Amino acid sequence: MNRLHFQRSQLCIPYGLFLVCFVFAPLVVIIYYAFTDGEGRLTLANLTSFFSSPNTIGTLAYSLGIAVATTCCCLLLAYPIAYILARSRFKHKAVILMVFVMPMWINFTLRITALKEILTVIEGNLAYHPFLNTLIGMTYDFLPFMILPIYTTLEKLDNSLLEAAADLGADTVRTFLKVTFPLSVPGIISGIVMVFLPSMTNYVVLDMLYNSTYIMGSLIGAYFSAYDWHNGSMIALILLGIILVFTMFTNRYADEDAGSSRGGVLGS
Amino acid sequence: MRKIGSGLRRKIGLAASAVCVVSVSWLRMPVQTVCASEEPVILRVCNWEEYIDLGEWDDEEMITLDDGTVIFGEKPLYEEFEDWYRETYGREVRVEYSCFGTNEDLYNQLNLGDTYDLVCPSEYMIMKLMAEDRLLPYSDSFYMESDANNYYINNVSPYIRKTLETNEINGESWSKYAAGYMWGITGVLYNPELVTEDEAATWGIFGNPKFHRQVTLKDNVRDSYFAALGILKADALTDEAFVRSADYRERLADMMNDVNPETVAQAQALLDDLMDNLYSLETDSGKADMITGKIVANYQWSGDAVYAMDQADADGFTLKFAVPRESTNLWFDGWVMLKSGIDGSARKQHAAEAFVNFLSRTDNAVRNMYYIGYTSSIAGNDRDDTIYEYLNWCYGAGEEDGDIMEYPVGYFFSGDNNDRDYVLAASSSQIGRQLYSQYPPQEVMDRTAVMRYFDADANKAINQMWINVRCFDIHDVPMGIRIVLLAALLWIIWIFYQKSALRTK
Repeated sequence: MNRLHFQRSQLCIPYGLFLVCFVFAPLVVIIYYAFTDGEGRLTLANLTSFFSSPNTIGTLAYSLGIAVATTCCCLLLAYPIAYILARSRFKHKAVILMVFVMPMWINFTLRITALKEILTVIEGNLAYHPFLNTLIGMTYDFLPFMILPIYTTLEKLDNSLLEAAADLGADTVRTFLKVTFPLSVPGIISGIVMVFLPSMTNYVVLDMLYNSTYIMGSLIGAYFSAYDWHNGSMIALILLGIILVFTMFTNRYADEDAGSSRGGVLGS
Repeated sequence: MRKIGSGLRRKIGLAASAVCVVSVSWLRMPVQTVCASEEPVILRVCNWEEYIDLGEWDDEEMITLDDGTVIFGEKPLYEEFEDWYRETYGREVRVEYSCFGTNEDLYNQLNLGDTYDLVCPSEYMIMKLMAEDRLLPYSDSFYMESDANNYYINNVSPYIRKTLETNEINGESWSKYAAGYMWGITGVLYNPELVTEDEAATWGIFGNPKFHRQVTLKDNVRDSYFAALGILKADALTDEAFVRSADYRERLADMMNDVNPETVAQAQALLDDLMDNLYSLETDSGKADMITGKIVANYQWSGDAVYAMDQADADGFTLKFAVPRESTNLWFDGWVMLKSGIDGSARKQHAAEAFVNFLSRTDNAVRNMYYIGYTSSIAGNDRDDTIYEYLNWCYGAGEEDGDIMEYPVGYFFSGDNNDRDYVLAASSSQIGRQLYSQYPPQEVMDRTAVMRYFDADANKAINQMWINVRCFDIHDVPMGIRIVLLAALLWIIWIFYQKSALRTK
């Protein structure tokens, strides 16, 4: 009997099927609903109503606000930690890393519930600072996703580059700004992608921390439970568009930076 | 019922609910085959989560009523139904039992092509399904009181029966299509140490600045809209002349179902203001937050209020339930048969009706009440007073218990509140407590209003109103900040653009 033999393209079939069934087909359905009205007629009303209502635009702004703030907080907290960890001479770095990543192993709902109680003790009444609480909750939730990629890039950083910089007279600050930081940009970018996008739609954190304001995710849910699949699909599609534009920008930036840094190190 | 059921036996329910998704009976072979040629009927039932007794009671949970009746849950009721059906009718039935989370979920599932034979939505969803001509009316034989196996029609409370009969949609009364299962009212659960009864017994408590950021409202449009109407129309609703008028109930129902665009706009403005006074909106966390003291009052459904009061009692402090003086929302869930599922099969319809009858047997109704914590629509009859005995078992008090009051519940059990057979001797501390929430007194029931299903336009309007309340209004951001943010965004895009322009060079 012949040995099983696959061509490379055949190996793609399972994933191709998955893609068609669970990504492509639903997308077609979403697009159909987004551009039709209750009677099945083609319409752009769902699109225009999104951009003409102060409430939906406000929700978009609020979601973006939360996402930007969360990403900034995560970055500001994660970079120093990742830097210290990666640069430290401590033998068991992995242990310290684990301490930071360990929260990820505990169920997310449980962590937010605990956070709710802690914040209640500190603030007394959570209802006065809904935005701040959400920000803390989101940062708590997504911090490991920022630490890991930055740590990985910094860890791989070639020590000889730093020595070369020192030999050529750069002080620590200058070395960091000219060598370490530019080389860690790909890690920062993937950290941002991993934090920014989910924090725009993760409404469970808001619900659990008593922030009753809708963000994009909850707005889609609200339209669907009001049987308005058309507006709901349109908002999902707009969100998809935002994500697409965002990843295009970050990809381009990451590529470009990788290219220029290679040029900087190896170029003549 | 409401989004999340709470039961006295909830802890067990949680473990068992994992089983509830898939019908267990699939795995079992029929014990005996009565007629070899006949395939068992498959009955697809879809019910709220944790909304039926799943059996497996511990021995100490066995209930022995004063008249000697013993209530004990051995197996899930839908499994016991299969045995009962075989014994009673000599035919096989297999129940495929599944659950839904909200009325809207159920409706979306039905639209996506899930087929069920028997489902248990709330009154407004029943109205919607009726209006869309998707329900099958119960057969005439289902309403024949002479048949002893017709437990539903023989045992249903006259109060619930009358409510179902007098409420109509498109000229047809609900009772033709729906059999009552559980019911309740809405009100305010409060902490009596910090809130007086007078302050709690009004929907206005949600706007009361004294409880700034210490009250919660429900996270769904129908409940919040009802409360908003109660506040908007408080003066008219509590007017003596109005309350005494002959057509009070009809006018009250109309007022609490007012969806004029003007009223909806007023409600939106009011709810916008209320949001600044609320602790939050919640669906399920309010009970726990009352117990931990984060909030002092919350909008609550009677069944969940009972659960919260029980929990608080166990923790050694007291919560109370008040029914706003303006009006309260009478809601119920009922069993309805779907045309798409039954699909003209007489055997299937027979099994579905038998299932409703089986759940309406008084001992099964008690098991459900004990497990779910809500109040059953079943009251029993002259010959079978198990439900009343259960009520007595729960709340009856003797001389040794101190202050005793007479608590008439005749309106529910016999249709006559002066009926001396149904006057419970209960501790007078039960006013505003569990008994009061589960079987509210007549004077409370007099100011109940059923919230109807609104037509497509009105429904869209109140849903949009709710979304507007919940959304962050861009106008709340000062113009200066908006300009700065927009400039920052443009600047970032410009940088990216320049960088990419450089690269392409």
